[in-house]
Amino acid sequence: MNPSSIPALETSESLPFDLMRVPGLGHLFRWRYARPLLQAPLLVLSLVMILHGLFGPTLAPKNLATTLSWLHFRGVLVLVLLCAGNFFCLACPFMLVRQAARRFFTPRFTWPRALRNKWLSVGLFALILFTYELFDLWSSPWWTAWLIVAYFLSVLVVDGFFKHASFCKFVCPIGQFNFVASTLSPFEVKVREQDVCTRCHTKDCIRGRREPVSDLVTIRGCELALFLPSKVGNMDCTFCLDCVHACPHDNIGILSRLPASELMVDPLRSGIGYFSRRKDLAALAIVFTFGALLNAFGMVSPVYAVETWLGKLLHVSHESPVLGLIFTFFLIVEPVLLLGLAAWLTRIWAHSPRALLPLAVRYTYGLVPLGFGMWLAHYCFHFLTGLYTLIPVTQNAIASLGRPFLGEPRWTLTGLPANVVQVVEIGFLVLGFAGSLVVTYGLAEDDSPNHPLRAFLPWAAVCLVLWCASLWLMFQPMEMRAMLMSG
Amino acid sequence: MSWRKLPDHRVRNRLSRQKLARRLAGFVCAATLFTVGCSRPVELPPFVEIEHEISPQPARVGPVTVTLKLADATGKALTGAHIAVEADMSHPGMNPLFAEAKEAEPGRYQAHLEFQMAGDWVILIHVTLPDGKKLERQIDVRGVQPGVQSGRSTWRST
Repeated sequence: MNPSSIPALETSESLPFDLMRVPGLGHLFRWRYARPLLQAPLLVLSLVMILHGLFGPTLAPKNLATTLSWLHFRGVLVLVLLCAGNFFCLACPFMLVRQAARRFFTPRFTWPRALRNKWLSVGLFALILFTYELFDLWSSPWWTAWLIVAYFLSVLVVDGFFKHASFCKFVCPIGQFNFVASTLSPFEVKVREQDVCTRCHTKDCIRGRREPVSDLVTIRGCELALFLPSKVGNMDCTFCLDCVHACPHDNIGILSRLPASELMVDPLRSGIGYFSRRKDLAALAIVFTFGALLNAFGMVSPVYAVETWLGKLLHVSHESPVLGLIFTFFLIVEPVLLLGLAAWLTRIWAHSPRALLPLAVRYTYGLVPLGFGMWLAHYCFHFLTGLYTLIPVTQNAIASLGRPFLGEPRWTLTGLPANVVQVVEIGFLVLGFAGSLVVTYGLAEDDSPNHPLRAFLPWAAVCLVLWCASLWLMFQPMEMRAMLMSG
Repeated sequence: MSWRKLPDHRVRNRLSRQKLARRLAGFVCAATLFTVGCSRPVELPPFVEIEHEISPQPARVGPVTVTLKLADATGKALTGAHIAVEADMSHPGMNPLFAEAKEAEPGRYQAHLEFQMAGDWVILIHVTLPDGKKLERQIDVRGVQPGVQSGRSTWRST
C-alpha cells in the first residue's frame, strides 16, 4: 500500500474535542493561506502602532502604540493562552515579514549548536523585563514603537541568516513566554491516531511535503523540530499548522486536553528531550514565575522605597544599578534560596535519590501555574480596567488625520470597575495556586511513590510563600512613575 | 555557482526581484517627497505666558488645586479665557480627570482635581482665548506621593 494514501481511522467518538473538526474553523485552519490571513491584520496593526508611536501624541494614554501594546495585546494574549492555546504565535506578524523576506534571501546557516537551548532567550526575556522597568516602556510611545521595530529587524536578521524557525525557538522572548504559558492551555496540536503515524513512511510532518522528482519542499514540515508522533505538549509549538498542512493523512488536530497535564509527566519529548534534564527550560520557568511577581512589584509603592533605600546604601543616584540589584535578587538569589531549600528538604524527608539540582529542576515546572496566575491577574487588571480606552485613542488618532469620522474622542471611556476586576484577579491567583499544588503533588507522587506527601510539602510551602507574595502585591497601592515620560 | 550558470527560471526570478526592489525603492522615495512636499505650513500659536502652581506641594493623592496665571506678550493679564484641565497617569488605561478652571481674579484661573493614584501625572491645559484661538500646555507632575489614607483606599479607585 502506498503510505501516502493511508486513511485516518474514524474513531472520533474516542477522541478528545478537536478544533479542526469544528465546521468552518477546521476548513479555515486547513487552508494553506490561513496563517497569512490571520497575520495580515496584525501586521497592519503593528505598522499603525509604529507610525503612531513615532509621530503621534507623546502621552502614553493617548497613543495607539502604548495603549495597544501594554493594555490590549498583553491582556488578549494571556486570555487566549488560558482559554485556547498559543494562537498568537500562529498569527505572529513578524513571521509574515520573515516569509516575505525569505522570497529574496535564502538563509544559509544552521543555528549554532552551542546556542540550541533556551539560555539566550532566557537572558533576553529577563532583559526585556529589565528595560521595561528601566526605560518605563509603558509610558513612552516612542520607545514602544522602536521596540516593535527592533523586533521586526531581529526577526529579519536571525531568520535571514539561519534556517528554519531559529528566531522562534531560540531567540524570541514573547515566544518563550507563550511556550511556557501554553503548557497550561486546554488545546494542543497533536496526532489523532498514533497507528496512522506508525504506518506512515514519508514523515511529511517533519520533513515537509516534497515534489516527487525535484525533491523540492512544497509544504514545510515543522520548523521547530517537533516530530508530531512523539511531540508531547505545547512547549516550542507555535501552532503554525505547517504539520497539519503537510500531513498526507489528515491525522493532526488541535485537541483538547487537561491544562498543565504536560507538566506532571516527564517523557522524552520530540525536539526538547526530558524536562527534568533541561536546566535552561527550568531557568525559563523561573524567570516566567518570579518575573511575574517582579513585573507587578515594579508598579507598586514599595518598589520606590526599596530603590531609595538601596540608592542611599550604595551612594548611587542612577536607577540602573539599583534596578540591576533588585532583578538579581528576585530572579536569581530568591529562586536559588527557595528552590534550593525545598530541594534539600525533599531529599532529606522523602529520601529522594536525586541530587539537589535535578530535584530543583524537576519541581520548578510546578511553579508555572502560579506564575501564569500572576501574569493573568496583572495583565487582565490593565486590560479590563482600560478595556474601552482603545475607542477614544482610535478616535483621536483618526481625528488627527483631519477626518474625524468616528467623532470626537470620548476620553471618559475607560473600562470595567476596579472592584469587579479585583474579583477576577483574585480568581486567577487562586487558580494559579491550586494548579501549582496539583502539579507539584503529581510530581511528588511520581518522584517519591512511598512518601509523596513528604516530597510535596516543601514545594507546597514554596507555592504558599509565592502566592502570599502575589496577594500582598495585589493589595499594594499602585504607583507608576516614568522617567522618560515626556519623551 | 556563477550568475551565468543559473538555470533560466532562476535568472528570470532574480531579474524580477531586482525589478520589484527598484520599484519598491522608487515608491518609498516618491512617498517621502510627497509627504514632505505636501505638508501644511504650521500656524504659530499666539504668545501667551502661562505660569502654573500646584498645591499642596509636594502633590499627594487626594484633592489638589491647579492655579494658572495667563499673560500676553506685554505682561498684561489675559482675562475671559476658557480653560479645560485634564490630568492623565503616565500609564495607559487609567481614568483621566477633567475640570474647568474658573477665573478667580483677572488673569488668574483655578481648577480643582483629585489625584487617585501615586506616581507620575501629566496635566494638560486646553486654553481657548477670547478671540477663539486655542493653545495647549503640558505640565508634568512627577512623583505624586501616596495619600494619608490607607493604601487600599487609594488603590485602583475608579
